[in-house]
Amino acid sequence: MKILIIEDDDSLREIITRGLLNEGYIVETAANYSDANDKIAGYSYDCILLDIMLPDGNGLRLLEHIKSLKKRDHIIIISARDSLDDKVTGLDLGADDYLAKPFYMAELSARIKSILRRSANADGNKLKAGNITLDLTGRSVDVGGKEIALLKKEYDILLYFLQRPNHIVDKALLAESVWGDYIDTADNFDFIYAQVKNLRKKLDAAGATLTIKAVYGFGYKLAEK
Amino acid sequence: MKLFHRVILTLAIGLLPVMALWSLLFYYGMVGEINDETDDALSDYAQLIMRRALVGAPLPQPDNGSNNSYSIVPVSEEYVRNNPQITFYDEMVYIPEKEETEPARVLKTIYRDGEGQHYELQVATPTFERKDLLETVAYNILGLYAVLMLTILAVVSIVYYLNMRPLYTLLKRLDKYRPGTKSTNFTDTTTVVEFRKLNDAVQKAMERAEYYFDRQNSFIGNASHELQTPLAILGARLEWLMNSDTLSEEQMTEIIKMRQSLSRLVRLNRTLLLLSKIENGQFPETTEVDVAAIIRESMETYCEIYAERGIFCKTELPEKFIVMMNESLATTLIGNLLKNSFVHNSNGGCVKVSIDGNTLSVANSGKEPLDASRIFERFYHKGNSDSTGLGLPLVSSIAERYGTKVEYSFADGMHRFSIKFMQ
Repeated sequence: MKILIIEDDDSLREIITRGLLNEGYIVETAANYSDANDKIAGYSYDCILLDIMLPDGNGLRLLEHIKSLKKRDHIIIISARDSLDDKVTGLDLGADDYLAKPFYMAELSARIKSILRRSANADGNKLKAGNITLDLTGRSVDVGGKEIALLKKEYDILLYFLQRPNHIVDKALLAESVWGDYIDTADNFDFIYAQVKNLRKKLDAAGATLTIKAVYGFGYKLAEK
Repeated sequence: MKLFHRVILTLAIGLLPVMALWSLLFYYGMVGEINDETDDALSDYAQLIMRRALVGAPLPQPDNGSNNSYSIVPVSEEYVRNNPQITFYDEMVYIPEKEETEPARVLKTIYRDGEGQHYELQVATPTFERKDLLETVAYNILGLYAVLMLTILAVVSIVYYLNMRPLYTLLKRLDKYRPGTKSTNFTDTTTVVEFRKLNDAVQKAMERAEYYFDRQNSFIGNASHELQTPLAILGARLEWLMNSDTLSEEQMTEIIKMRQSLSRLVRLNRTLLLLSKIENGQFPETTEVDVAAIIRESMETYCEIYAERGIFCKTELPEKFIVMMNESLATTLIGNLLKNSFVHNSNGGCVKVSIDGNTLSVANSGKEPLDASRIFERFYHKGNSDSTGLGLPLVSSIAERYGTKVEYSFADGMHRFSIKFMQ
């Protein structure tokens, strides 16, 4: 899997590269419009991460250019501008996803995976880890072929874990992702504890090979038993 | 007090002594003139009687219809020496024909006949009643004053409004003015120099305010945007560190704390961006939003999140409450109000949400009233260092965008925030 990172900030480019290399992708980078243009003209990528605010040209123009070449590269826009207009324009021009800065690496990697999965096979709407399978279309979960019944929040939490295998999941981020903006940093997260406990119980009862482990009391990790 | 009322009041008060003085002068002038005329007539009459008396001609009959009366009394030499030859004075005189006493002008004069005998002739003619005249003059002056005032009022109001129109146009404009609402260029075609200067000064002040407002807004927006990339880098690097296996628990705890601070920073930055976007009017699209539905959904989530704090929730909502608003702003507005009522609550407290008519109110338990003048200020937070201090400013900013206001009150141990929606 080959990924091109087009980002003008050296430090951010470096850390994204490192993160993606660690996930086993082949990574190439471009720091400006013309470099990116050269790379796109010469090679093809599975996924392009595009910062739409480049010093020597608007990233949206680059996006148009890529699409005009009729390439099948998937594009994720990363932008400091979290405005609806940019999002809509970007997606209209053919980008696959839009990620506003600042984002977490785990989030980026989850988005990349989701895009690659969608295009890879017909089974793209299923997430698998150990003997757990989550069907995104049917919103159902089965363990070792047997379906288990999860409440809505439990399903959301499991989905969040499955999108971030081997990553430590911060309680605060999990809460923010599942409960959205309702969460405030000032809150304590006891209510998550109850939900995760229930989910863990259900997975264990169904004989899952994975379980949710608490990490240092601040977060969780989906890991082998 | 309105300027117009002040002008009228000053005029009314200012005219009062002038009118009083004038009526006084008028009265004395009148009395003087009448006395003068009467005295002339009396002198003539006295001379007529004297002449007849001296030549022995018959004197006028007392009931000759003229109401004049006279008497002739002989007086001594000594009396003549001690009294002036002619005196005029006012006196109440009994008039036999009328059988009543009336005010009269009296002339006393002394003459001598051919035999050297002195006589005093007293002639009286009924004259005006001073009290009556005074009253009449007073009534007339009062009437004149009233009529004059009304006339002046009418004239002044016409003149005033004709001349002051540019001032009122300007005031109306200032009333409507809100910084950040790009004011349309002001075209008042007044030719009065003072008003022109005033208009120019206001226009310049507005432009300056507008300029600084824009600058401040774009500064906040730009600064927040510029912060996004370093924040992303910081987050990604911390994440990278966290996922390495060589960390001790102590190091991990430190990193986690860093990341929590970073989360706060990210949230703060995001809210600032949102605020500057709202103030720049970057949420133009409005749709029909069901506020009641948003509240119901949000309340469910909050009750779940804050379940262990034992907060009692009570909602009084209509089936539907449709407002024309930007949907994401409506959600932010309600979310922040509700979140506020849960976060700043005591364990076992209560939250009451109700919609009455067009007014949404959110109330929660609290110990003492908040400083109503400051709670909508950015970064004002008391005690709770974990809150961003931007929640209520955000709410008030959104409300302002839709031409309404958030009201705060404290009663019966409850903080109450209410918003009246325009429909």
